[in-house]
Amino acid sequence: MRPSSLVRLSALLLLVIFVTMPEAFAFLFEPLITPGAPAIYNQGSLFALTMQHLRTVCLATLASTLLAVALGIFVTRPSGAEFLPLSRSLVNIGQTFPPIAVLAIAVPLVGFGEKPTFVALFLYGLLPIFENTLTGLTQVPPTALEAARGMGMNAWQRLVQVELPLALPMILAGIRLSVIISLGTATIGSTVAAKGLGEVIIAGLQSNNIAFVLQGGLVVALLAVLVHDGLGLLERIAARKLGRSLDETP
Amino acid sequence: MVPPRPALSFDHLGIVLAVLIGVALFAAPFATYRATRIASGEARLLIEALPVAMASALVLVALGLAAGAVLVRDPLGRLGSAVIGLAVLLPSLGLSAGFLTPADNSFARVSPSAGFWLLSLSFSLLAVDALARMRLGPFGRLVALAVGVSALALLLFSGIWDDLSIIKEYRTRADSFWREARQHLMLAVGSMALACLIGVPLGIASHRLRTLRTAVLQGLGIVQTIPSIALFGLLIAPLGALAASVPLAAALGIRGIGAAPAFIALLLYALLPIVANTIAGLNQVPAVVADAARGMGMSPWQRLVQVELPLALPVILAGIRIVLVQNLGLATVAALIGGGGFGTFVFQGIGQTAIDLVLLGAIPTVVLSFVASIILDALVDFSKGALA
Amino acid sequence: MITIDHLTKRYGSTLVVDDISFEVEEGTLTVVVGTSGAGKSTLLRMINRLVEPTGGRVLIDGEDTRTIPEDALRHRIGYVIQGYGLFPHRNVADNIATVPRLLRWDRKRIAQRVEELLDLFQLDPAEFAHKFPHELSGGQQQRVGVARALAARPALLLMDEPFGALDAVIRSKAQDDLLAIQRRLGTTIVLVTHDMNEAFHLGDRIAVMDQARLLQYAAPAELLMHPADDFVERLVGTAERPFRLLSLTKVQEVLEAGRAEGEPITASESLHEALSRLLWTGRAALPVADAAGAIIGQVSVGSILRHGRPLP
Repeated sequence: MRPSSLVRLSALLLLVIFVTMPEAFAFLFEPLITPGAPAIYNQGSLFALTMQHLRTVCLATLASTLLAVALGIFVTRPSGAEFLPLSRSLVNIGQTFPPIAVLAIAVPLVGFGEKPTFVALFLYGLLPIFENTLTGLTQVPPTALEAARGMGMNAWQRLVQVELPLALPMILAGIRLSVIISLGTATIGSTVAAKGLGEVIIAGLQSNNIAFVLQGGLVVALLAVLVHDGLGLLERIAARKLGRSLDETP
Repeated sequence: MVPPRPALSFDHLGIVLAVLIGVALFAAPFATYRATRIASGEARLLIEALPVAMASALVLVALGLAAGAVLVRDPLGRLGSAVIGLAVLLPSLGLSAGFLTPADNSFARVSPSAGFWLLSLSFSLLAVDALARMRLGPFGRLVALAVGVSALALLLFSGIWDDLSIIKEYRTRADSFWREARQHLMLAVGSMALACLIGVPLGIASHRLRTLRTAVLQGLGIVQTIPSIALFGLLIAPLGALAASVPLAAALGIRGIGAAPAFIALLLYALLPIVANTIAGLNQVPAVVADAARGMGMSPWQRLVQVELPLALPVILAGIRIVLVQNLGLATVAALIGGGGFGTFVFQGIGQTAIDLVLLGAIPTVVLSFVASIILDALVDFSKGALA
Repeated sequence: MITIDHLTKRYGSTLVVDDISFEVEEGTLTVVVGTSGAGKSTLLRMINRLVEPTGGRVLIDGEDTRTIPEDALRHRIGYVIQGYGLFPHRNVADNIATVPRLLRWDRKRIAQRVEELLDLFQLDPAEFAHKFPHELSGGQQQRVGVARALAARPALLLMDEPFGALDAVIRSKAQDDLLAIQRRLGTTIVLVTHDMNEAFHLGDRIAVMDQARLLQYAAPAELLMHPADDFVERLVGTAERPFRLLSLTKVQEVLEAGRAEGEPITASESLHEALSRLLWTGRAALPVADAAGAIIGQVSVGSILRHGRPLP
């Protein structure tokens, strides 16, 4: 635990220092560039781009979570049961759509900029959360549900006090997966003019500046690994609060 | 043990589909007309997009199917009506393109619009729901897939869609289309094959060695987390340096930009599911079976090849399914760093705001992933069946 | 008093419970026994309306359960199932507090009640209140399951194979504990099992079911001596019959004067226990002591044998 939290902390520190004062690292990137080209991304602040990137991902994930969990609850109630087989197949089919296709198809519908990125993140983010909500809710031990009914809990009390708490670690795992996919898709969003870290990589590719590409890649990669790790930590805390042993929720 | 349903009851999904069909028929444009390839589109309602007789025929069929979706519960009946719906709808899109395009005008473009998409979505949902309820076995699913793919091929070769914008986009770049298709498959399938060659032995070794397992799974887990475009970016610099300093590498086609970083990135992404599933598959081999094999005097190699791997096969195949579908999708991003593939058309299309060009790249990708997932799912089922 | 009145359950054309009527006296433990698929669980689940009867009714102290809202009815009836259904996300105290919370008891009263029950079930509150179900042994989970069912002081407790998941040694201890608690609280219990030994060990009265029908409803001794038909006789087991009978009778009842040699046996033990001690020690008689340990007489092989042959 000790060495890994040290690695975690230093990675976070490195990321923060790099995005706030990238100029300090210019010497590392200079060997990669043709003479005269800038060594550090100079068309905007890395910090602002990182924040913008995270904002888009957070908003989209929030929206997907609300809808996906609501849908997951709906199809596992008796009144929504007719939609269960279809929704399972749709999730399977939906995952065969590459995120870029969703992004590209959203452009003609809503125009360039943040909107198509948001739409793509929202739609694509639904799938893992919905799938995991479904798994979490259908895996609630039947004896616990039978006991809850036998003790006179009504449908709402069973949902809120038994089913959702037991499905929570699964739902959180779905959200984590969704966030990671979204971080990547948001990067590609820069091809449709959304503000975000993809800009740095795209700018590097367009001007043949490998230093930019590397910077963008590093920041995005570090961000994704840290967010993934942080959400994993959150999941483990939730699982522990629910009294699960840790090995049950890897 | 379930009390019988009342004889006449409304299907809830059917009601939703009927509403969708209603909106698609009367409130949404069926097709978009553009005077030139990149001119802004003009919406055409169904009534305007087809000759009156055909439009009313389509409306009648669609309304009939909407009513059927609400009232018919038998999956076979629902599948039948979905097939009729698609059989009427898909050709009529081509007819609409011919009808809307002025004679001898090679600049005008006709694309499907919201109404068409909604109708095909509704009919497809009806079909998917019916198929999900029928619980087809792997063989049945493959047959259904073959029927679907042949129908699509028939539509394409019959020429009935030739006036559609997307087909026109294809005609002007037929050569590059097939070149990119080969490139796409090379990237996705080639990296998957190499990942199997590396991943399965690595999984077997990790299954035995605990320390290796932890290191491999954690390392690959981190790689899996890194977004594709960032990983491409991270690979460009070292590969560029390699090409500059080692002439042999450059001669083999390894360069900073292009297919090489994409191929390596896809390979790295592919390793985790294959290694993890190989380990999981070997883990779930019952201890008594492994023990019995040892008791009969099988050598470790014989146990692995004759007992453990065959029993782990369904799980390993499930990993390969994940990888193939994931790779087919990720390969679209390769175009961004000059790696080619269907993504080329998607990004060109985005650049030119030509939606049909985007679709020319996106639709084959989706179809490929869809077909791959059904075939591999069936293979997983077959391999399970062989064990049962 | 619980009155089961012509209760019937039918799924499609399958009859699961066929026109069953019997009464359960206040403060007694009734065991419903039968082979699996006999309809025992369905019968039990119709009492708290987890299954709605197709016909007939259930009265609790004369009140038709159909007139009570489902959830309110279940708040008043304790329910224990095989596997217990403890909530994995709640600790022991919160599990036990489930029904009191649904009933909106105040916090202090709930805490008091939880502590009381943990004491009653010999679970040290300081150690167990904050443990989660997966940290408990099978026997401890079972006790928490019963404690949870008793939390809101229900007058009636329904138990469906409550000892089914326990191994033999822990099971017999758990059965004894249940009997002690039942005697102490005076709760009316209806318990479903497929285990005849359990039925004889626990039941004040036993209801034998087979293929949806109630074959016999009687006190254990009556069941042994006058089985209603061949099926009941087979179920009771002819080979074990005399031993079952012996375990239903206390040493007290065959006490005779005399001072036999050896380790004394307590008057409240069963004749079954006395006989097995006699056989093991090879003696013809054992001294009998009262609860305080004072010798009050003896029990001999002859007196037991005489008791074992009550029929002329």
